Formats: sequence, C-alpha cells, structure tokens
Amino acid sequence: MTIPRRAFAIVASLLLLVSASSRSETVPLAMTEVAAGVFVHNGVHEEASSANDDAIANIGFILGDDAVAVIDPGGSAREGRELRAAIRARTDRPIRYVILTHVHPDHIFGAAAFRDDHPDFVGHAKLPGALAQRGDYYLHRLRSTLGDEASGTEIVPPTVLITGRLDLDLGSRRLILWAHGPAHTDNDMTIFDENTRTFWLGDLLFVDRVPVIDGSLVGWLEQLREATAIPADRAVPGHGPVSVPWPAGADPERRYLEAVARDTRAAIKSGIGIANAYRQVANSERGHWLLFDEYHPRNVTASYKELEWE
Amino acid sequence: MGVTLAMLCRAALCVLLLGFARPGPACAEPTEAERMARWSDLQHAIFGDRVVEDAGDLVAIDAPARAEDAAIVPVAIRVAQALAPEIRGLYLVIDDNPSPLAAHFLIAPIADAREIATRVRIDDYTYLHAVAETADGRLYVAARFIKAAGGCSAPASKDQDLARERLGKMKLSIADRSRPEEPINVKLLISHPNSSGLQMDPVTRNYIPADFMQTLDVTYNGQPIFRLESDIAISEDPSFNFSLRPSDPTGPGVIKAEVLDSSQRHFSQSWPVPTAAQM
Repeated sequence: MTIPRRAFAIVASLLLLVSASSRSETVPLAMTEVAAGVFVHNGVHEEASSANDDAIANIGFILGDDAVAVIDPGGSAREGRELRAAIRARTDRPIRYVILTHVHPDHIFGAAAFRDDHPDFVGHAKLPGALAQRGDYYLHRLRSTLGDEASGTEIVPPTVLITGRLDLDLGSRRLILWAHGPAHTDNDMTIFDENTRTFWLGDLLFVDRVPVIDGSLVGWLEQLREATAIPADRAVPGHGPVSVPWPAGADPERRYLEAVARDTRAAIKSGIGIANAYRQVANSERGHWLLFDEYHPRNVTASYKELEWE
Repeated sequence: MGVTLAMLCRAALCVLLLGFARPGPACAEPTEAERMARWSDLQHAIFGDRVVEDAGDLVAIDAPARAEDAAIVPVAIRVAQALAPEIRGLYLVIDDNPSPLAAHFLIAPIADAREIATRVRIDDYTYLHAVAETADGRLYVAARFIKAAGGCSAPASKDQDLARERLGKMKLSIADRSRPEEPINVKLLISHPNSSGLQMDPVTRNYIPADFMQTLDVTYNGQPIFRLESDIAISEDPSFNFSLRPSDPTGPGVIKAEVLDSSQRHFSQSWPVPTAAQM
C-alpha cells in the first residue's frame, strides 16, 4: 500500500506541530499511584502564584476498564492540560467524567482543558449557585495573580448535578459520590473507590495545611463525623500528603475545628469583639499547621459570624 | 483556595471598579495630599459650609489597623464622657469606598453615645472619618487610616440556603445588668445580605442588584434610642453594639428594632429587657 505523498506530508507536519507544542507547553504532571489505578498529584503548600500555576491542591484521576474519571482538574487551564497529559501517558481510554469537588479555583479552574473530551462535568447541586456568586471574582483574582499563565482558564459549569449520592461505573470499578451539607464550602463532594477502599475527600480533609472554613464550622464537624464511618483504608486529602490512613488521618483537622469552635464560643460569651477574637482562639494549634497566620484569623472571623447566632 | 485577600482583592477590585468609580491609572496609591483633598471634597458634600472642628480627644474611631477580612471590618465610634450627652448625630465616612457615607446615626437622648459599633465593608486602603454632631449644631471630626481592600466586591454568604432562610431575623443580647446605675449594653444582629451591588453574576454578566438596609429604628418602650440611615458599606448580617440609659433604669422595658430595606421589605422584632434584679 502506498500513501499519497501529499497526505503523508500533511500527517508529518501535523505530527511535528503536535510534538512541538507539547514540548514547549505541556509536561505531564508528576503523579503518585496511591492505590491500584488511583493517581494523585501532590499540590504545593503555597499561595497561588505565577510560579506554581495555582497547582496547590491535590488533584488526579481514577482508571477503570472502560473509562477515566478526573477528580478535580486543577487550578488553571495549564495545570488541567498537564493533568490530561499525565492521563494520556498512561491510557487511551475515554475521559468520561470530570468531578468538581467544590467551587474553589485551585481545584476546578483547570476544567476547560477537558472540554474536547466531552466528559460529564459532575458537581454538587449547589455548585452552580456558588459559581454564579463567586466564579467571576475568582477568575479576576486568578488572572491578576497568574497573568499570562492564566490564559485559557475559564469557568466550566457542571453538566451533571448531584444531591445525596451518585454511583459512576468506570468498567469493573464503581465510584460512589456524595454531596455533603455545608462544611468546607456549601458545595463539597467526596468520592469513594470501592475496589481499593480509597476515600477521596477533596477539601473536606486538610492535612498539614491549615483548614479554610468557607461553609460552616458546625456543619464541617458534623460531616466529618459521618465521613469517619466510611470503611476506607486510606484517604486522599484536598491539601496534604497524597494519601493518609483513614479515619486516623482526620484527627488533626477535627482537633483544630473543635478548638476553633470551643474558643470562639467562649470569646463570644465573654464579650470579646470579632476583631480581637482570633488572638485567643485555638492558639494551641499554632505550630501544627502551615499557612496558619494567613488563614486562621479569617477562619475565626467566619466562625464568630456563624456562632454568634447560636 | 490559596490567594491572599489583601493582595488579590485589590487587583480584582481595580478591574471591577475602574469602569465607573476611579479615574486615573489603576491602583496608583493616592498621596497623602490627595487623601486630604478627597476628605475635603467629601466634607463639603456632606456638611456644606458648616465648620467641622478637629475632635482632639473628644471623638475616636476604634478599628483594626489592618483588617483580617475586608468585608467584615469592626468599627466603633467613641465619644468622650463630657461630650456624649450632647451628641445627636454620628456620621461614619469611608473615604475611598464607592459610596463613602457608610452610616448616619441619629442619636436620641436616652442613647448613651459613648460608644456605638458596627461592621463595615472596606474597598481600598482608606481613611475613615467619624463626625459627631451636637444638639447645638457643632461638628467634631476624628480620622483613622485603615489597611483593608476588596470588601465591597468580595463574595459573601458562605451558606446560601441559610442566608435565605434567615433573612430578616434578628438577635438581641443584653450584657449583664447587675448594676442598674450602669447603662444597658446591647448587641443587635440582623440577618440580611446587605448586598453591595458590586458582586457580578458571570452567567448573565450583570451585577447582582444591591439589596441593603436603608433604615434601622431602635426604640425602648416606644421612645427612640437611635435611627440609622445606612448604605451598602454595612457588612452582610449587620451588627450593632450600643447602650442606653432609660429614665427608669429599674423598670421593665421592651426594645424594638425595625428595618426597611432597599427592596421595600420591612422587618421588625421586639425583646423584653429584664430588670436589673431579674438578671
């Protein structure tokens, strides 16, 4: 069989183009296989910056016999493309689901990189409302931080919404998704992989990096109680190591949240104002967490505002 | 999420506000002279040609030098004991906010004007000015510089369902009254989004309409304590600390709060004030 010369030339130049652009732009993300077929990229413990492309959260994917599910496409279109390259370095199976664990940009702003795969973008039923309220603000912030590195980053609304529970079949592999009540945000989802008993918690679980309270402190403690009953062998936190034992991995977070709740209630009761409360709340936790001074005072302000209605 | 509010809010805001609020280069830090000129313009716009005296030690603003959350900045206006009984008005001006006159309290004689506190949104590094007005029309001004930015456009409502359910509900707490000769110290919370109109819906590309508290009337046994005329600068879930000295400090009483918002909704709630002996 002979290939017409012109067609050959076209194919060759296309191949060149593809390899040239992948060399200049898209280096596959480094992934750790925390359990068979469960791949996690470890986010850095930093604030978002042009140096880290907002790649500060743990993100990744799970491989089934028929399809791939992405869990959080990353903090920018660039990180999304790098995650996609990491998937394509391992499999040609279709990327059927992109799961958006919650509204925060470091987890979901990479979604545009997966548009051409035409996956279901799966989110909490309250995610569209949260995106309507905050998405544009987050996008402005990201563009001003990342500059050119943010190019291509867009808000991709979820196409499949869940309340309660949804099961996804990846081919000999079932994922169970739960939509939670207000906790880290009011639109948190977690994912349980039955095959390996791996529980992917998104930002319902922070390890090492101080938790950010952007939903409900009381609700978070409640959701955490329920989550610890899940019979998992390991958990993937939204920030922290790629894998921690479960449920022991939630102990430091619970200790922090309980300390914030206890001390903030005490501050409200003794008439300490919202501006000064953080100075006396959960001081025992300083030294246990990264970025404590950046986020703890605002956690206390948010908790104060929530608990003063009790 | 991982971006500092201080750094990023500022930049985001410039993008948001450049179109309609601030002429000149984006984010150029105003000089001290420009800040003075701005206050001079604002003072003229609010008080016309009336003389505004430097308050010295008579009036003070208490606020953190740097706010942890620019959407919830606690601010207290304090008036010296000697001047407090004469006060009939307190103005809070946030010079560099899109709508600078944040609050005008009309103070009735039974209010104790030594301290009144609320929480505000702050849009950019700015001076706050508090102006106290006496019964005979004198005006005293105090100033304080504050580092906070992005409070007007920052997304609020961490739990949107809760915000809808609780709209218009109020909570009142009264501090310990073991000494009847002391004023009654009250903390009032009002559940209301107090939307600034500077938050954008990315789907419709429209700004979410402002929806804010316009007036708050607080009375004791039907007598006014204060009326607040307010604006978008008051934080979500408005909060007020104030004190009063009823003419009969030992008797029973009722505090009532009434809110009228910019959507013409009316909310009101009443609470019994226990006598000193009951506490």
